[in-house]
Amino acid sequence: MADFAMWVESTRLSKGLFDITWLWPVCESLHFIGLCMLIGGAGLLDLRLMGLFRGLHIRHVKALMPWAIAGFGINAVTGGLFLIMQPHLYLTSAVWWSKVFFLAIAGLNAAFFETRLAVPALAMHPDADMPRQLKVVGAVSLFSWFAVLYCGRMLPYLGTGN
Amino acid sequence: MAFFRGLQDSTFTEWFLGSASIWTYPTVLTLHTIGMAILVGASFVVNLRVLQVAGEIPLQRLAPVYRFIWAGFVINLFSGVVLFVTQAADRVQDPVFYVKLGSIALALWFGVLVKRASIDAADAPQVTPPRSRRLAAAGLGLWTIAIVAGRLMAYLHP
Repeated sequence: MADFAMWVESTRLSKGLFDITWLWPVCESLHFIGLCMLIGGAGLLDLRLMGLFRGLHIRHVKALMPWAIAGFGINAVTGGLFLIMQPHLYLTSAVWWSKVFFLAIAGLNAAFFETRLAVPALAMHPDADMPRQLKVVGAVSLFSWFAVLYCGRMLPYLGTGN
Repeated sequence: MAFFRGLQDSTFTEWFLGSASIWTYPTVLTLHTIGMAILVGASFVVNLRVLQVAGEIPLQRLAPVYRFIWAGFVINLFSGVVLFVTQAADRVQDPVFYVKLGSIALALWFGVLVKRASIDAADAPQVTPPRSRRLAAAGLGLWTIAIVAGRLMAYLHP
């Protein structure tokens, strides 16, 4: 992985992007805005699935999802740029791989919801009790997104021998 | 100024920034990011709904979202004060810092105005009036400015 990181960093693309001095701070700002869109939109749906905000139709809350997905898209693009510019910071970091792991959990969890649970969930009465399965899916999603955030922010500090 | 210089050069700052522990600076910085996600994420949801995104959500049902807004704000007020102390002398001279504080104050105030006009009143119309929409649009812009200013503070030194 260290060799691959070195190879990426030696490419003209990586060097060219990293030489644009304003690109890194702009990507960081966008990465923060994207995470707020994602956690705001997905977070409300997660809390609703966990049984909070009783009285809100899951179907109505889900209309915020395009904004959450747009936030995820912003972060995938800016995150990809960080990775191309400074691959050695990430590819050899156990904290970064933990972030990828929690991203995968969040993704699989969302896919499970969409394919197995969404149809009955969207048809539920807004005042009905939440089945346990939906509560677990909501909690797993919320936990994984905050774990992704935690790993990302702590990446420069965790596992550095301190 | 001597006061802020004293804070920045205090033994607390030396310990807080110099410590090898992840429980000092890294954890407070991460709390500040978690608080931001809750505060700005919840504010985005309210402002988007007021701008008729997910327009079928009954506005009155969003009142509890403000608990998350205030919880996120409290986390960031406390973590922010600690982070400020460690850079007090630099920050009081940094215009970008005042842009950040000003946009946060305005965004919170606009959020309260939106709540009074369009969320608290049981008979508030589900299609929001232009004044609420203008406040919500300004809120989205102000939170964006606050985030960008906060991030740029790490790069632009006075």
